[in-house]
Amino acid sequence: MEPTRNSHATLVDLLDRVLDKGLVIHADLIISVAGVPLIGVNLRAALAGMETMLKYGVMTEWDERTRAWEREHRKKKEISAVPGEEIILEMLGSYYYSEGIYTAWRMGRIYLTDKRLIVYHPSFEEVLFETPLEKIKGVALEIEEKYFTAKERENLCLLLKSGDVVRLHALDTLKLKEALEQRMSTLGLGWQEVPSLAAHDERTASFLSQGEEAICSGKMWHLTSPRGIMAESWKPGHLYLSNKRLCWWYDFEGKVGFEIPLDRIVGSTVGTRNLRPTPKNSKVLDVIYHNDLGKQVASFAGDELWQWEKALNQIVLQPVLASTKEADTCPQCGREGQANELLEQGCVYCGWVSPRLRRQLRRSALDGAAR
Amino acid sequence: MQYSDKTEVASRAEAIEEQGRYLYCVVDSGEKVSFGEIGIEGKEVYAILYRDICAVVHNCPAQPYRSDDQEVVKAWVMTHQKVVDAAWERWGTVLPLSFDTIIKGETEGSAERNVQDWLKQEYEGLKSKIEKVRGKAEYGVQVFWDAKVIAENLTRTSPEIRKLDEEIRLKPRGLAYMYRQRLENLIKREMESKADECFKDFYSRIRKHADDIRVEKTKKAEQGLQMIMNLSCLVYKDRYTELGEELDKINQLEGFSVRFTGPWPPYSFVGGA
Repeated sequence: MEPTRNSHATLVDLLDRVLDKGLVIHADLIISVAGVPLIGVNLRAALAGMETMLKYGVMTEWDERTRAWEREHRKKKEISAVPGEEIILEMLGSYYYSEGIYTAWRMGRIYLTDKRLIVYHPSFEEVLFETPLEKIKGVALEIEEKYFTAKERENLCLLLKSGDVVRLHALDTLKLKEALEQRMSTLGLGWQEVPSLAAHDERTASFLSQGEEAICSGKMWHLTSPRGIMAESWKPGHLYLSNKRLCWWYDFEGKVGFEIPLDRIVGSTVGTRNLRPTPKNSKVLDVIYHNDLGKQVASFAGDELWQWEKALNQIVLQPVLASTKEADTCPQCGREGQANELLEQGCVYCGWVSPRLRRQLRRSALDGAAR
Repeated sequence: MQYSDKTEVASRAEAIEEQGRYLYCVVDSGEKVSFGEIGIEGKEVYAILYRDICAVVHNCPAQPYRSDDQEVVKAWVMTHQKVVDAAWERWGTVLPLSFDTIIKGETEGSAERNVQDWLKQEYEGLKSKIEKVRGKAEYGVQVFWDAKVIAENLTRTSPEIRKLDEEIRLKPRGLAYMYRQRLENLIKREMESKADECFKDFYSRIRKHADDIRVEKTKKAEQGLQMIMNLSCLVYKDRYTELGEELDKINQLEGFSVRFTGPWPPYSFVGGA
């Protein structure tokens, strides 16, 4: 075997020697050539054909590309990448996590991009919440009173098309709301301005029928029953106990989401439940009532549950002999009621008035006028 | 008067500019000789003497050669090698320096003195290095194997691998996958020990034909070939044929190939103290 010197393959061999080896000078007078290793690497690339390119030059480039990609990717990964997505607003904030009845405000960074709204926890690299903007159905500002500080703060409530309600709090909630709405209108997305929840009580009269009087009312979460493809979930609203019925106003849809006449209520209990695999146990008010299908339970969660329980049980303890009464349906709305109640008081739901009651009312009106 | 002032300034500027000496190599010759303008960027290459040794240099500014243009750097390095080769051819023995080694001077003309001082200071060491490499050249020996061929051979010869390979055939698909992972690991381990074994074997065979030997880092695989051995061998110029014959034997082994380069100036054997 003869050694070779001048073939292409030996070039790298030569360069290894000329650039990295040779006599070493130990003297102060030597010029320090910090750049040499770098020159060496580049030079190898310059001199090399494809095979050595792979070893040096292309590897350098590849390395750079990899790093660039990693940098790019990492940046996006933080908010789970969508190519070409642009961040419009970024703000510290928190997200009201309400899986089941476990609730907590979880801190994170709120990102409003041109496509999505994201709450991201940087330390855990976890997306707490995200939604495409077009999935937002309604937006509301909620004034929440902090129990301990008695200070009010604004929360941004989003009603999603899926029916879920999301509550966010940001460093500047109003700014976030503005930016969100601005972006949504730029995208041509329609949304409902759900009236602020604080203004809610002014509306309550609208669903209380004539002669109906609210005994108790308060903010209350309700476990809605599954509807269609929607699973049961906890929704925010207000619970009202009137002299006629127990009803729950669903804040985001702006309508009564649950109602039962008082005489259907069998009882209520407050219990601690652990609905989800979260460590926190929460108090839940279970109202037991009966309908055509038998006994049912409606669950509520909120404050002062024991007062609700007391109020409800008082009503149940009243000697209402519901079972002995004849059931009938309202001829106008078809809802169930008691025959004598329908006749004497009309329908509590739609305001239908029986001919007998109408005569009575007319008579009393005339009496009043005469006086 | 004015005119002569100007030339004085110009020559001083030139002197400042040339306050470095770029070193190519050290040879054992007391001969004051000029090679002509064969140096980097056409500089005149000449020898700076101290007793019976000399440094082959050219005059340059006291700053390293640097360029972003790789073609330029390439030309520099090739020129460096050509100058070393020319000196090597002329005197038969050289101590080559690596590219871009420059000795500077603080004042006019002191660079040359600094080179001489360095030669004086290092005289004994340089002399013994010269003696070490006299009449010898450096050769590069790189042994490659075709990983695929070696792995196949191992599968045939290693009882452990063969057993596992046979077991896989009898396993259902899911389990076979697991077993294949194990097989791969086993082959990898066997390959590693095989490589160690080959290294020991080849090294002892090559060592016999070399005056000195340096084990260099192996390079990454190229075209399916893995470098399992990278040596620099210092060999008497007239004895490289014996090394070549030994390498032939290795080259003929199935799956192995050898790259034999040289003769190079003894770059790998002049470094260190």
